[in-house]
Amino acid sequence: MKHPKIQTLENITTSGRPPIEERVTLIDALDKVLEKGAVLDGEIAIRVADVDLVFIGLKLLITSISRAEVLRRGEDSSGGAVSKEDEEYIKGLEREIERAEGNIPRIIEASDPKKAEKGIAQLVLTLVKLIKDLMYREAKRRMGKGNLSEVEIQKLGLTFKALDKKIEEIRAIFGLEDEELNLDLGPLGNLM
Amino acid sequence: MKIMKGPYLYGICPSVKIHPPKFYVVKLRRVKKLLDKNIGEGIGGGKVFRIPYKDIEAVVSEVYLKEFGSKEIQKRAAEDLEWIKEKALMHEKVIETAMNNSDGLIIPMKFGAIFKGRESLISSLKKDYLRFKNLFKNLNGKAEYSVKIYLKSKPLENEIRKSSPIIQRKLEEIKSLPAGRQYFLEEEVNEMAKKEARNSINNYIPLFLEKLKGFTEELKENKILGKELTQRNDPMVFNGAFLVKKEKVDRFQKEIQKLRAEYEKIGFTFESSGPWPPYNFV
Repeated sequence: MKHPKIQTLENITTSGRPPIEERVTLIDALDKVLEKGAVLDGEIAIRVADVDLVFIGLKLLITSISRAEVLRRGEDSSGGAVSKEDEEYIKGLEREIERAEGNIPRIIEASDPKKAEKGIAQLVLTLVKLIKDLMYREAKRRMGKGNLSEVEIQKLGLTFKALDKKIEEIRAIFGLEDEELNLDLGPLGNLM
Repeated sequence: MKIMKGPYLYGICPSVKIHPPKFYVVKLRRVKKLLDKNIGEGIGGGKVFRIPYKDIEAVVSEVYLKEFGSKEIQKRAAEDLEWIKEKALMHEKVIETAMNNSDGLIIPMKFGAIFKGRESLISSLKKDYLRFKNLFKNLNGKAEYSVKIYLKSKPLENEIRKSSPIIQRKLEEIKSLPAGRQYFLEEEVNEMAKKEARNSINNYIPLFLEKLKGFTEELKENKILGKELTQRNDPMVFNGAFLVKKEKVDRFQKEIQKLRAEYEKIGFTFESSGPWPPYNFV
């Protein structure tokens, strides 16, 4: 039987990121030790804060929620009634932005130039894709309201298609995986 | 001034049966002391040793109560990521080595169990003695294995696009439309495939678990870990711990290999690790 190898702290700090297998075991080990295991009466426990927070220490590079808030405030002060449809639309935008945020903190690793380059490409592409997705949603909304002519639809559709292709191309150049730009939460996320 | 020390508890093992030659019985104590010598220092720098009670033993090392019971340490444990990582890994390492010294049988404690003194530990052992005995009975000859499943959604979506008659029909319908409008409808189809893929996960996971069930005694489902923790791009869709009998480990692992062979091409990744001390089953 093979025993899981546990990476010691020294190894982690001196050799950069441990290989995948060991990283996996490290997370597993911490997760088990901090969350699971027997508990007895009468012991003094070292209480670790919320385990998830301990691991993550997540820093968001962009706090664009404020942008969505400005948007909402703008609609409020305009005096016009916000329709239910509009409200949902704005909520949708907010969700989209939050999804993008999730991708960003992991992206840029300044210690390694190669990784940093890839990270910046990923960041830029993620944002381009976000903007494209937002435009797409707006276009669809207008289509739904019947505000767009057949010519306009044709133009928009082709523009989006070209953008998609360009994003794909740059993605391939920098060796980024599709998931790395994926703005939805994958199988676990809520549907828009 | 008296410096107060107390035992930090890693886990509880059944007494190890040592069979010294009959006329050496006197030395049994020394043999026991040497039992965990390969562990070396525990948390806080003290030597790891065992405190016996009836036919069970507590694996401990001494720590300064002042140091580990204080407010500062609580604060540190709550905030200092490196400190927790270092100590928690030490905790796990001691447990794992002690487990190997005890025929693979241990009840692992959660991180940070400290007692005011030997007496308070013994009284805890006394109180929970039957519970421990039952656990040993249940855990004997078994070990914990972790299984985590990840899913890349694109391959599964493509699979669904190919196999769904509704989607195929839609794609056929929009073929003749102008390219611009076609784009919007294609995107709708993509959304459909995405939604379908999401729904189908709920069918795949139980199917996998059903296949593994025959080789495992118990399953404990744990919460899904986020991308920040897994450092993977594909999201985790299942996280669980299995209790596996030693004689079934091979077949269990073969079954995971089989799952890999069959489902990796539609985007699933299976990660398993072990044997672990049975953290999830105590």
